[in-house]
Amino acid sequence: MNNTIVSYLSQFESYKGLLESFSSLFGEAGPGLLTFLVFLIGCILVVTVMATIGGLGTYAERKISADMQARMGPNRVGPYGLLQFLADGVKMFLKEDITPNTADKFIFGLAPLLALVGVFGTLAVLPFSSGFTLSNLNVGVFYLIGIGSLVGVAIFLGGYASNSKWSMLGGMRGASQIISYEIPVVLSLMAIVLMSGSLNFGGLVGAQGGLPQEWFIFHNPFTFIGFFVFFIGALAETNRAPFDLPEAESELVSGYHTEYSGMRFAFFALAEYIEVFVVCGVGAAAFLGGYKVPFNLGGEGIIGQVLQVLVFFGKTLALYYLVIMIRWTYPRLRVDQLMTLCWKYLTPMAIFNLIGCALWIYLLDSKSMWDMLAAFVGSMGTGGGH
Amino acid sequence: MDNVIFIISTILTVGGALCVLLTKNVMHACVYLLTCLLGVAGLYVTLGADFVAATQLAVYVGGVVILMVFAVMLTGGPNSQSSNKFGIVKIPMMGNAKTYIIGIISAVIFGLMAYKVLSRVITSIQAGEAPVFTETVEKIGFMLVTDHVLAFEISSVLLLGALVGAAIIARPKRGV
Repeated sequence: MNNTIVSYLSQFESYKGLLESFSSLFGEAGPGLLTFLVFLIGCILVVTVMATIGGLGTYAERKISADMQARMGPNRVGPYGLLQFLADGVKMFLKEDITPNTADKFIFGLAPLLALVGVFGTLAVLPFSSGFTLSNLNVGVFYLIGIGSLVGVAIFLGGYASNSKWSMLGGMRGASQIISYEIPVVLSLMAIVLMSGSLNFGGLVGAQGGLPQEWFIFHNPFTFIGFFVFFIGALAETNRAPFDLPEAESELVSGYHTEYSGMRFAFFALAEYIEVFVVCGVGAAAFLGGYKVPFNLGGEGIIGQVLQVLVFFGKTLALYYLVIMIRWTYPRLRVDQLMTLCWKYLTPMAIFNLIGCALWIYLLDSKSMWDMLAAFVGSMGTGGGH
Repeated sequence: MDNVIFIISTILTVGGALCVLLTKNVMHACVYLLTCLLGVAGLYVTLGADFVAATQLAVYVGGVVILMVFAVMLTGGPNSQSSNKFGIVKIPMMGNAKTYIIGIISAVIFGLMAYKVLSRVITSIQAGEAPVFTETVEKIGFMLVTDHVLAFEISSVLLLGALVGAAIIARPKRGV
C-alpha cells in the first residue's frame, strides 16, 4: 500500500483514539471520513503554504534583483516591504478582468486554471518529510512528470486562445520548449531512479543520507553532471531566464499572457512561481538528499519531522535563490540556440549519464565515490606500515 | 469510497467523449479530449493500475494532446470560406439523408450481431470485486525484459525509426 500522511499518523495513539470516536459517531463511514478529513486538512495546508511561497517568490525576485542592481526594491508595504505581495494580490483582485473580443472565450478562461491545476497536482507527491508527504505514490516521479505537463498544455492554449500574434508566438515557443526539455530532465531523473531502484520519492530520498557525501549528486561523476543537466532543463521547463522565451518581454510584449489581466494573469504568475518551487524541490529530493537531516538529528518523532521539513525547505529555497540569481545574471537565448542546447548538448549528455550510471551500478556494485576513496585510503594506511 | 472516484472518472470520460462529438470547434474538441483522457486515467487508478494511469497522464495528457493542438493549428487555413474566426475550418455536414439511413441500419444490424455474440457474457455478468492494490511497477518492469522482451525491442526500434524519420523530414534540404 502507498505511504500517505494518514499511514504515518495512524502509528500514534491519539490518532487511534480519534479513529474510534469517529467510528462510534459515524458508524461504518467513520474511518473513511477521517481519512478524507486528514487529506483535506493536509491539502489545504500545503496549497496555502505553497500559494504564500509563490507570492513571496515574486517579492524575493524583486528584492534579489534590486540587490544585484544596487537598488532598494519594494520597501513601502510592511517591514522591508514584505507584504508587497498581498498588496499586489489585492490589486489583482480589483483589476478589471478583460477578455479580448476575438478571443476563444472558453479556452481563454480555462487556460489559467489548467496551469494552476497542473502545478497543484504535483504538490501531492512532493516529499516534505518522511511523514508529511501527502501521498508517497509508487509511481511518484512518473506521476509528477505527467501531471506537470498540464502546464505546457495550459501555456499553449492560453497563447492560442488570446488570438493575438504575440501570445500565439509565446504559446508556441512555450509548448515546444517544454516538450523538448522534458527529455533531458526525465533522462537525468531516470539515472537517479536507477541508482535508488525506486520510482517513489520516499525511496529516492531514503537511498541517500544526511551528509553531502551521501547525496546522489556526489555519488559518482555521472550523477554530478546529471544534476546540472537536470537543473538547466528544469530552468527551461519552468520558462525561467535565460530560457524565458515564451514571455520574452523585449520581443513579445509579455508572451503567452499578454492579453491576460487581473486574477487570470495572477493565476499564470502564481503557477510559474510555485512550479519553480516544485522543480527545485524535486532537484533537492533527487540529488541533494531531500529531507534527510545530518546525523539523523531529532529521530523519527515530531521534532525529527519538523527538522526534516526545515531541511527540505532550506535546500529547496537555496536552489530557488539560485534560479532567481541566474535570471538576473544571464541574457536570454535565441530560439535556435535554445533548441541546439537541448537536442545537441543536454540530451546526449543525459543519455551518456544514464548509461554511465547503469555501468557504475553493474561494474562497481553502485558504491559511492567516497566509499571507494575511503576504502582506498584505508588500505593505503594499513599497507603503508608507518 | 472507491465508488466516488469511479463515478467522477466515468463522468469525466463519458462527458468528455460526448463533448468531443458534439462540439463544432476542433480546438474545443481537443480540450474536451483532455478531460476524457484524464477520466480514463482515473479509471485505471480505480482498477489498481497505478503505472498505467501515470503513463496515461504522461503520454496522452502531456504529449498527444499538445501534438493534436499543434497539428490542428498548423493545418487550419484562414483563407477558407467556411472557416470560423480562429481560422479553423468548420466541420461540414457529413453526408446526406441516404448516408444517415444506411448508417443507422448498419449500426442496428452490427449491434444485434454483437449482442448475439456477447449475450452470454452480458446476461451472466456480475459485479466483481475490485482487485486488491499491489505494486505494479516492479512486475511490469520484470515482464518487459523477460517474457515480453521481443515486443519491447520491436517497439523501441519503431520509435527509433520514427525519431530518425522526423529528423530527416525536418532537415534543411541541400541545394534547393
